[in-house]
Amino acid sequence: MKISFTINGQQKSVEIENGSTPLLWVIRDTLNLKGTKFGCGKAACGACTLHVNGEAVRSCSFAVKFAEGKNITTIEGLGTKENPHPVQQAWIEHIVPQCGYCQPGFIMATAALLEKKPSPTDADIDANIVNVCRCATYYRMRKAIHRAAKIKNGDS
Amino acid sequence: MKVQKLLFIIPVFLFAIILLASNVEKTNSKNNANARNENLNKLNSEENFNKMMAVLTHQRCMNCHPSDNIPKQGEDSHPHYFGMARGAGNLGFEATNCNTCHQDENNDFSGVPGAPEWSLAPHSMRWEGLSPSEIAESMLDKKRNGGRTHHEVMEHLTEHALVLWAWEPGIDAAGNPREKPPVPVDEYIKAVKEWFEAGAVIPEK
Amino acid sequence: MTKKKTSRRKFLIRGGLGTLGVLALGTYVFRNSMRRYMYEMSETLVVPYSGTGTEANLWFEITSDNTIVLHSPKVEMGQGTFTSFAQIVADELDVNIDQIVVKAAETASGIVDRMSTGGSLSVAQLYQPLREMAATMREKVKVEAAKKWDATASALTTKGGIVSSGEKTMKYAEAVADITDWSLPDTPKLREESNYKYVGKPIKRIDLIPKVLGEPIFGMDAEMPDMLFAAVTRPQHVGASLKSVNTAAAEKMSGVVKIVQKDDWVGVVANSYSEALAAKRKLEIDWDIPKKWTEEEIRSIMQVGKGDKMITQKHGKALDPDDADVVSIEFTSPIGAHAQIEPNGALAYVNGDKVTVILSTQVPGVTQKQVSEALDVAIENVNIVTTYLGGGFGRRLNTSHAVQAAQMAKEVGKPVKYFFTRKEEFQHDAFRPPTHHIIRGKANGNGMLDALEHHYASGDVAINSAIFPPALVSMLGTDVGAMRGGNIMYDKIQNRRAVQWHTTLPFATSFWRSLGLLANTFAIESFIDEMAIRAGKNPVNYRLSMLGEDTLALRIKKVIQEAAQKSNYKDEVSGNMAMGFAASVDAGAPCAHVAEVSIEENKIKVHRVVCAFDCGLAVNPDQVIAQCEGCIIMGISAACHEKMTLKNGQLYPTIYGPYDMALMKNSPKEIEVHLIQGVDAPLPVGEPPLGPIGAAIGNAVRRLTGKRLTELPLRLA
Repeated sequence: MKISFTINGQQKSVEIENGSTPLLWVIRDTLNLKGTKFGCGKAACGACTLHVNGEAVRSCSFAVKFAEGKNITTIEGLGTKENPHPVQQAWIEHIVPQCGYCQPGFIMATAALLEKKPSPTDADIDANIVNVCRCATYYRMRKAIHRAAKIKNGDS
Repeated sequence: MKVQKLLFIIPVFLFAIILLASNVEKTNSKNNANARNENLNKLNSEENFNKMMAVLTHQRCMNCHPSDNIPKQGEDSHPHYFGMARGAGNLGFEATNCNTCHQDENNDFSGVPGAPEWSLAPHSMRWEGLSPSEIAESMLDKKRNGGRTHHEVMEHLTEHALVLWAWEPGIDAAGNPREKPPVPVDEYIKAVKEWFEAGAVIPEK
Repeated sequence: MTKKKTSRRKFLIRGGLGTLGVLALGTYVFRNSMRRYMYEMSETLVVPYSGTGTEANLWFEITSDNTIVLHSPKVEMGQGTFTSFAQIVADELDVNIDQIVVKAAETASGIVDRMSTGGSLSVAQLYQPLREMAATMREKVKVEAAKKWDATASALTTKGGIVSSGEKTMKYAEAVADITDWSLPDTPKLREESNYKYVGKPIKRIDLIPKVLGEPIFGMDAEMPDMLFAAVTRPQHVGASLKSVNTAAAEKMSGVVKIVQKDDWVGVVANSYSEALAAKRKLEIDWDIPKKWTEEEIRSIMQVGKGDKMITQKHGKALDPDDADVVSIEFTSPIGAHAQIEPNGALAYVNGDKVTVILSTQVPGVTQKQVSEALDVAIENVNIVTTYLGGGFGRRLNTSHAVQAAQMAKEVGKPVKYFFTRKEEFQHDAFRPPTHHIIRGKANGNGMLDALEHHYASGDVAINSAIFPPALVSMLGTDVGAMRGGNIMYDKIQNRRAVQWHTTLPFATSFWRSLGLLANTFAIESFIDEMAIRAGKNPVNYRLSMLGEDTLALRIKKVIQEAAQKSNYKDEVSGNMAMGFAASVDAGAPCAHVAEVSIEENKIKVHRVVCAFDCGLAVNPDQVIAQCEGCIIMGISAACHEKMTLKNGQLYPTIYGPYDMALMKNSPKEIEVHLIQGVDAPLPVGEPPLGPIGAAIGNAVRRLTGKRLTELPLRLA
């Protein structure tokens, strides 16, 4: 079957036999966007988090056929070195990543949170940011999330 | 003439009494049949009720009708992992919600279950810890059932994709099939319809 | 100026200490005076780098745009090593840090550490050699520039990757262009550390931007043209093996290229990962399950008094266990999973007699050897290319999957990428072994300890691991991994001993960040705290009074005092909060933690942790602090959440969530790290701060509830 969607601002069509194939694999292996990570394949760790129509989605559990006509953003489309997204900017300022593998998922989940809650409280962060980071960079992440909210709200 | 008339009236009267009496008897026998039917209906209704409740109290349904704000998971109905909770619209938290992981159908790759309108039942529809009769009362109570008529409740129970998902629950994260409710789907639908058609009588506690 | 001829692969610079030093790491056992001497040395000395290629020209590459590429013999798994290396190189080579690119060396380069990236040793081991090599490289640049200018090398100056002679300047890249003579000058005098521009400063990680932008740098992201994907079967039951398999249904699945059958596994090679996975589900496998192990059986094996015994510390007399005045407490810790987020896997290509494997590994040298043996290919024809690792923690010291990938690649004649499912990761981890501890102590009339004994049982850590050959293990006489933190650091206790009991379990156990330190420190420091409470003493003063005046003891005292002071430690319950104190020393790096804890809804909540850590010279203080923060939260996770169990002969759980770990909400909102430079060289930093956290939390809970928790994970009844 043919599935068409917009990804990071570009119109793409993919031909795939099994429409239930997780979007993650199409993005990583067909479209060669490797920033979205595979961690567990069970929607448990959050490493594969991206945005579908602005909502945070765990792409290992999202059948590619449901992407038809949707607008997808991955870490590659969030910001650039020259123009990082406020969440990326805050991550850089607080030197959050260690091994870095889970970080795109956390950054995408945080970016989605800030769209819904421009100034999240600690409780909002605890409830919404439930991805897993084995290096346990949570302490810096929390500071970076608050900082990202400030940057995004323009009171930096 | 008066006497004659009276003589005539008396038999008529008597006849009428007999007729009446026989009518009374007829009415009585009809009442007996009704009682028998009623008993039968009541039995059918109770059987239907029990079938329906065997399904509705199964973890496939109950896990999303909790009495607290925590969705449950699995055959052992443990609290949903990662601290997921009801949130504002029964859909979880602002950015991490039901649809972050659950889509319109089961995903066999991840073992994440899915169906259209995947969500927690509203707090008014909490069933956990209730008896079957209490669940039924709650279900029929417009104040608690989202303003649904009996017919609408019946439709929800027999046609809504999220309810019928219980018979297509897919596999879990470890790849094992989820348990289905103890009554086959056709039998369940028939039982629910009959129970509603028979007046949705909740058996006495 | 003198020159010494060098050839590739020649062993030099560290005066042959390399392999000898490795032995010194764990050599100790007291009966043998030599072992004892070596062991005591290893407590304070850092094992040298044990690679074989130590010529500067193999480490550095200067590209035409004047970028300095450092081929690192160590891998980057989050610990920030590459950044520290770049700082060291920038200072001695005299370039700007943004001119430096650090890459994990390929085994073909000959410079990878033959041992591993582990033990938190990377910066500690390479600080001196790397400075020397960068300085040598700078000298080489000057020599070559001098030739081009017909000048004297010693008269030239360098700055920011530019070499100058008066008004004339030349980029390093120009100086070394067209070099054919790779003889190296003598290493010049190193610069004064106080003049360093980068070393000792909190420089931003050099991999920060790529990691925040999601650039493809991990093993899972590796690609080769025409690559296929594979999935491999693994038994669910502990100790099970493959009996037979029916592949008929799987072969018919879409995208399947080949089913590869070996003695003990079956692999499905397909055009895409999802197709390989779907076909794998169709394999009908009959497993031989000789036995269904239970949790109770494992617990009964893992007992002090069972298995091989070795005394790992002995001072003074042994306690009489029947002495009525002896206090004895038992402690346990569970099986722990690594649970790193990037699954293990490998991309392999076999082209004739040449093999290339790209993967996340902590042991490229071991991986190379294993692939070479399995495929019967000359070792120099196997090139292991290491990417950034999506977490290490000791999990990537075992790389049998690289062999499987190479075997499948050989069969299909194309590159094959294969990785574990998460369930396989959880069931086929090389786990942190469960432990059992009995601690006995006897106090004098003053409440101070006269005698303290730590008896501890553990599964394999170093024993049976690919990086410690069996001969070495038998020479060392014990499991040097399990004994980390097992000996008693309080040197004023007259009679003290530690006794290790070792048993190999029916499932693989191995290195898990900090090895035995986490459980051993939990047991010892919980016991010390209990004795302080029973003696009515302040636990900080109690500890200080048991430490003497030698260098290490003084350094331990310093971190204890610093943590107590900076946290404003109070031995009392304040509102619903209490502080818990604990300390440890690992690989010569002392650390003390104060944890502020409350109990909410019958759950332990850690609000604040103050950490004092003597890490020696911190090449990058910010990243040392990051390691402390990570250790503290990973330690909270292990101490309060994580546990694998056996159920129906299988290891459970098999997924995050059920495998309960500390998440954002479980992480303290305040972590304060205070670094102390107790020695002038960098010390291991990635593991020592994991030591005290479990005991610190347990000690706080003791004050809040009156109950001594003796089992990890810590849970309230």
